[in-house]
Amino acid sequence: MKAKKEPPIIVLNKINKSFPLAIGGHQQVLFDISFTVKPGEFIAIMGPSGSGKSTCMNIVGALDSATSGTYELYGKDITTMTDDELATIRNEYIGFVFQNFNLLPKRTVLDNVMLPLMYLGLPMSERIRRAREMLKLVGLENFETYFPTQLSGGMKQRVAIARALAGNPKLILADEPTGALDSKMGNEILHFFKKLNKDMGITIIMITHEFEIARYADRIIHIYDGRIVYDGPVPKSEQTLLKAEKGHKK
Amino acid sequence: MTLNDILKESWLSISGNKLRSFLTVLGIIIGVMAVVIMVAVGETVQQSITDQFSSLGTNTIVIRAGAARSGGVRMGNRQTLTLSDAEQIGKLPDVSAVTPAQTAGAQVIYGNQNWATSMVGVYPDYVTVQNIEMEYGTFFDQMAVKNASTYAVIGPTTAKELGMPENPVGEIIRIQNTPFVIIGVTKEKGDSAMGSQDDMVIIPITTLKKRLQGSRFPEAVSMIAMKLYQDADNAVVTDQVTSLLRQRHKIKDGDENDFQVTDMKQIMETMNTVTGYLKLLLVAIAAVSLLVGSIGIMNMMLVSVAERTREIGVRKAIGARERVIIIQFLSESVLISFIGSMFGLVIGVGLSQGVGRFILEYNVPFSIWPVILSVTVAIVVGLASGVMPAIKAAKLNPIDSLRYE
Repeated sequence: MKAKKEPPIIVLNKINKSFPLAIGGHQQVLFDISFTVKPGEFIAIMGPSGSGKSTCMNIVGALDSATSGTYELYGKDITTMTDDELATIRNEYIGFVFQNFNLLPKRTVLDNVMLPLMYLGLPMSERIRRAREMLKLVGLENFETYFPTQLSGGMKQRVAIARALAGNPKLILADEPTGALDSKMGNEILHFFKKLNKDMGITIIMITHEFEIARYADRIIHIYDGRIVYDGPVPKSEQTLLKAEKGHKK
Repeated sequence: MTLNDILKESWLSISGNKLRSFLTVLGIIIGVMAVVIMVAVGETVQQSITDQFSSLGTNTIVIRAGAARSGGVRMGNRQTLTLSDAEQIGKLPDVSAVTPAQTAGAQVIYGNQNWATSMVGVYPDYVTVQNIEMEYGTFFDQMAVKNASTYAVIGPTTAKELGMPENPVGEIIRIQNTPFVIIGVTKEKGDSAMGSQDDMVIIPITTLKKRLQGSRFPEAVSMIAMKLYQDADNAVVTDQVTSLLRQRHKIKDGDENDFQVTDMKQIMETMNTVTGYLKLLLVAIAAVSLLVGSIGIMNMMLVSVAERTREIGVRKAIGARERVIIIQFLSESVLISFIGSMFGLVIGVGLSQGVGRFILEYNVPFSIWPVILSVTVAIVVGLASGVMPAIKAAKLNPIDSLRYE
């Protein structure tokens, strides 16, 4: 919030995305998606399942490319980048947090957190130092030799967050980060995101279909049927968003 | 990613599924082991044949009496060669030693012992031709041949079978009621291509022909063996001997020889070709099991890629480039085959050397080329069987892989 005057880090301009269908033809899932994100924002992308919010997130996360439209990330046009260039962008700028954690089960907590640092090409001592720092940040400094299977869901998600933060990204993309957690652990994770956003100024974009979770963000982008139907501060109640959906239907 | 990282990642993946990795490694172990053992078997066969020939010497030519065939009918052991043939051959410049040889069976009696063995009547040059070394006593000389002396040199086996003292020189044996003085015992030599040299009675040829056989043709012999100087060309001497004998035997042009010339070097070269093919055949069979092992690696890697789809998705999402994923999977398959080949090598060499030394009591030759070959092949096999799965892994779409259950 404090950094609203800085230039945007994400500029999506008229992004369209369609998938080829097995029976022939194409199905369009995103229609003219345009929004900008400024550094330090905490955004929730909301929408019912099938609305296209995951596709939108994949494009923002440089995992997928748009059919048309342009996407600038930190001033770089990444619309036309190759797979390997996108991999480097993801490695340097983006930290991912997934619904099902996606930790490597046969690696220790420390090894999991060090993984992105290995792809960054840091020396081993630096990797260990940074990974330990991140584990301390998420409060798991005593668990570095544990395996993910020995941890609770909330702890696994904290390891995943430590991994996402390890590469020192400017942006965290969280896809339903509380989807596999009970509400107590979920709240804990959301508070932690809030803290990261406020204390460290990390930009967070979170995908969710629940308004209660989206409320933790400062701004909600509501997607319905592949279109943005609401983009603004968190409304008082979910009714505002539902009305926006209805408005679109008309 | 450093080499260290690659090796560590590969090792963690391989050791993550111990049983499966072990079984895959086992395939390579068996393959490499088979190659190493088969090569050892081939080399052992080749060497033992070479050894047998070299106990006789490859610079040896043997002439046997009688035509190979006469009008389509194989002729028997006609004694068309003579002692003077042998003496004339001895005058050829490349011939270092020559001896006629006439073999016969012998019933040898010593005290109350009785032993059936073979007997050969020769010249003193026999020592050179057959590479004979003496354990005790001496070989008989030309004088003994001239006088048809009743001297005998016996093999160590013969001496043992007759129950003779450790040094039997001076003992008397009887052959066909003729007493012979033992003047020497040959050194143990082992079996050779010409039969056992250790169970044999060697006497002057004149003694055999005149005293024992009472032959009407004491000059005739069934065989002449000669040794050539080291730098002599066997083929040239074979031609010289052939034309000399044809001339002496007055054989007309176009008629067949009444003798056969056998060049040991040529026989050995033929044997070497045969054993070379044998070796090739053995290695080819072993290579099949190495191939099966490599298919095992490819199978494991394909299963591994499918199983680790999500892992690959995560790695790509957090920044692994395609090349890095390919390197990781390739290094896993190469590591598997490298570990397998190392164990296969150690077990293969250990087994072949161990069985050879302690069970067969034969010095199995150890050569370095199957070692280099099998390790190279294993690495190539690992690379080859890893390429397809690795590319498959690298091409996975991160979104799909992350959703993969």
